[in-house]
Amino acid sequence: MTGTGDRPRRHLTPAFRRAGLRLFVSVVATAALGVCVVVAFTLSDYLTVFGLCFLVLFGSALRSSHGPAQGASLGSIVLMAVYVIAGPAAAVVVAGVGSLVQARRVPLMKRAFNSGQRILSAAGGALAFVAVDGPVGESALHDVPRAILAVTLTGIAYQLVNAVLLSGVLWLERGSTVVRAFLREVVVATALPMLGYDYLGLVMAFMWLGGLGLIAGILTLVPLVVARWALSQDAAERAAQAATMRAFIQVIETKDLYTRGHSERVSEGVGMLGRQLHLPADRQQALEHAGLLHDVGKVGVPTSIIRKPGRLDDSEMDAIRLHPARGVELIGNIPFLEEVKSAVLHHHEKYDGTGYPAGLSGTNIPYFARIIGIVDAFDSLTSTRSYRPARTTEETVAILLQDRYTHFDPELVDAFVEVIGREGWKPAAAEQPAPNADLRTPIDHDDLSLGSGGGATGSAAGPA
Amino acid sequence: MSISRETEGAQLRSSGSGVVILIAGVVLGVAAVVLTARRGVTGWPFALTFGVLIAVGEMVQFRVDRTRNRAPIATSAALGYCLLCGPQVAVPPDIAQAVAVAAVATAIGVLPRILAGLWWDAVVSCRRLLSVGAAAVVFAAIAPDHLSWNGSASHAVPLGGAMLLAVSSAAALDAIVGAGQTTEHYNKPFPAALRDELGVTARIGMAMAISGMLLAAGTSIAGLWAPPLVLVPLLLTQFAFRRYSSAQRTYRATVRSMARSTEIAGFSSPGQNARTAALAVAIGNDLGLTPARMEALEYAALLSGVGQLALADPSPGGASLLRTREERQRAAEIGAAVIERSGVLDHVAEIVRHSNDPYRHGRANNSAIPVESGIVNVALAYEQLVGEGSGQSPDKAMESIGLGIGAEYDPVVVESLRRIVGRGFRF
Repeated sequence: MTGTGDRPRRHLTPAFRRAGLRLFVSVVATAALGVCVVVAFTLSDYLTVFGLCFLVLFGSALRSSHGPAQGASLGSIVLMAVYVIAGPAAAVVVAGVGSLVQARRVPLMKRAFNSGQRILSAAGGALAFVAVDGPVGESALHDVPRAILAVTLTGIAYQLVNAVLLSGVLWLERGSTVVRAFLREVVVATALPMLGYDYLGLVMAFMWLGGLGLIAGILTLVPLVVARWALSQDAAERAAQAATMRAFIQVIETKDLYTRGHSERVSEGVGMLGRQLHLPADRQQALEHAGLLHDVGKVGVPTSIIRKPGRLDDSEMDAIRLHPARGVELIGNIPFLEEVKSAVLHHHEKYDGTGYPAGLSGTNIPYFARIIGIVDAFDSLTSTRSYRPARTTEETVAILLQDRYTHFDPELVDAFVEVIGREGWKPAAAEQPAPNADLRTPIDHDDLSLGSGGGATGSAAGPA
Repeated sequence: MSISRETEGAQLRSSGSGVVILIAGVVLGVAAVVLTARRGVTGWPFALTFGVLIAVGEMVQFRVDRTRNRAPIATSAALGYCLLCGPQVAVPPDIAQAVAVAAVATAIGVLPRILAGLWWDAVVSCRRLLSVGAAAVVFAAIAPDHLSWNGSASHAVPLGGAMLLAVSSAAALDAIVGAGQTTEHYNKPFPAALRDELGVTARIGMAMAISGMLLAAGTSIAGLWAPPLVLVPLLLTQFAFRRYSSAQRTYRATVRSMARSTEIAGFSSPGQNARTAALAVAIGNDLGLTPARMEALEYAALLSGVGQLALADPSPGGASLLRTREERQRAAEIGAAVIERSGVLDHVAEIVRHSNDPYRHGRANNSAIPVESGIVNVALAYEQLVGEGSGQSPDKAMESIGLGIGAEYDPVVVESLRRIVGRGFRF
């Protein structure tokens, strides 16, 4: 828990923030400890509380980063059941016990805060529970609507206290931008699923009170554990798919020593541009896939043509111009978003309609294809080719700006130039072979229309 | 996100066991509906609530792989309905009514799918109905009538045990029926098929069954307030497994597409990889491999030619039998290195690496080499002889493969191939 330092605050010096953070955490921890001790003296049914503590420890240990309420441990379900089974005082104590299980290698200060935060949140929930006179034990079975009301309000109070405490510590540590992002992306997004988990806790309480006792807790947690297993498998499958595609692309790139790593750099570049354009998560991923796979059809172009040092004749050019269609043929059966396939097919279209294969112009060119066209050209120009050395980023940006309207979507060019200016660009590694000094003709298929002057001097067919 | 026909593969329909299951399910459903109609429905509100849950669950069913689909919400609700009892449910549904509600709700739920032209399998729905019937019978048989969720453990624990036994017998019946179908479709030995089915049951099956128990116990205790409170595990199970199966399908389609690149590059004839993989999978099933090994085997067969991409020029027609052994082994080695690079398919790489080793130099003396390598080796050879273009008769091909038994090919695999071809396997 150290200040990140990348966002200097105008009104809070780092030293002040560190001191504030320490003070805040000590206050939270002390208050929590006090509440916990005071409340512990009011407990009566130790056996039940002991069983619930066991369950909450078990639930908290099954932590996972998957699921709609990310990071919500199953312990929170058990905690909600405790209010109804054994009363609000027991809930505070159980929350304290449950918070003893934390991820390994968490610094002491953070641990203290986490425990304090959970105890105080549980205490906030307890106040709400008492305020609406929530039914405890047997009586809950006879007044189900009141129990539902009590659990709803308790859950909301718990989340409110939790959000306030976390916002406080985030504000002290990293500033108000992070707090706003946290409130928007975590608190609001998970509020509804968390309430769902709270209701499941109520069902668990009903079953416990119905006579099942500890067994009720285990039954409640089983389906969730299985679902989380499925989600972890899902993540593994997605990672495996990405890794497999990358490995495969690398094989195809062995055909041409000069394009090694090109597809992965394009994928990264379109990823940067996609984030700049605030694409939603699924389209962002689709765009990165499309960037990775845009040249996959090159596997159908004979190696002799790809490696040919010198001018290509018309039939050889035709073979190269087939690669987008080949690519779509190859990936057509993969259930990607439709945009991935259209991007692969049209990534050589140009804004003025002189590209291939369809000669689309302007915004008729699919959005992803326009994005990939820019990054594709950018990476080609900043890489070494057999007939020329690599250009610098500045030179290439100048070429892109010059070719707005003719080759590229002007707005996207501006966005890309902005991203490059901000985040920089990692050009192809130096291990590429040196350019062949005897060659003067542009032959790379991505390079075709970008004549040596960088203007729109080439035709769609490249050097004829 | 559309899935074309090709990735889904041929659907296996109108098989013997499928017809039996269909008839059994329909007879059971109709009988239950008739019986219930005569006697009248008890506890309309519960019947309606659970019926709606089942129907919605059927509507949002999803597909796990080529032959299996799932409707976790419908299954949980149907099982839960069988297990209702007091105090809130004054007259628990009898066996006939439990089955009738499930049958009618299933029919209503699949109707929109049929109208919209979505995939739906009557056999799978009938299987579910049979399992629900089994759960209802077991629960009615072993749960004494006087028990209810009155708060004492002496009632609750026997009730919980009866519920557990009831859903377990439903799961067991479903696993047995499923294993029977697998045995019939793929000629997988029954014990191996049952082991695979039970493996699946232990995961999603358990989640569905326990969610059903939560629904039943909650409703028996708190009345109709309970079903909405149990939404989280129901939705989470549905969401998680739906996502998982879609990721699995995407991954499989990706590997298949990558495998086709050798065809596009002219290293192999169209469909060659798919044919080789189909045969390898048939042999793997015949030998009763586990699902994880089956998957690796299929990928290895599909990707066995990928190493050729790094070789200079395509061989005409992709006839790898025509080239020298050294060349083939080098291609296999390169292919294995390529596959290894992904970091997630090490087992597949191992299979591919040895897929061109002759038996007497490989597996005969080195048990570390997986049998899957021998399977891919034989599948490649048989496909070369019989596959499109080369057109030998299966008998003739078996004869020439038989000559290489023990030296070139693994005897166990060739024996299995003989059985498969004898049963009429055709590309």
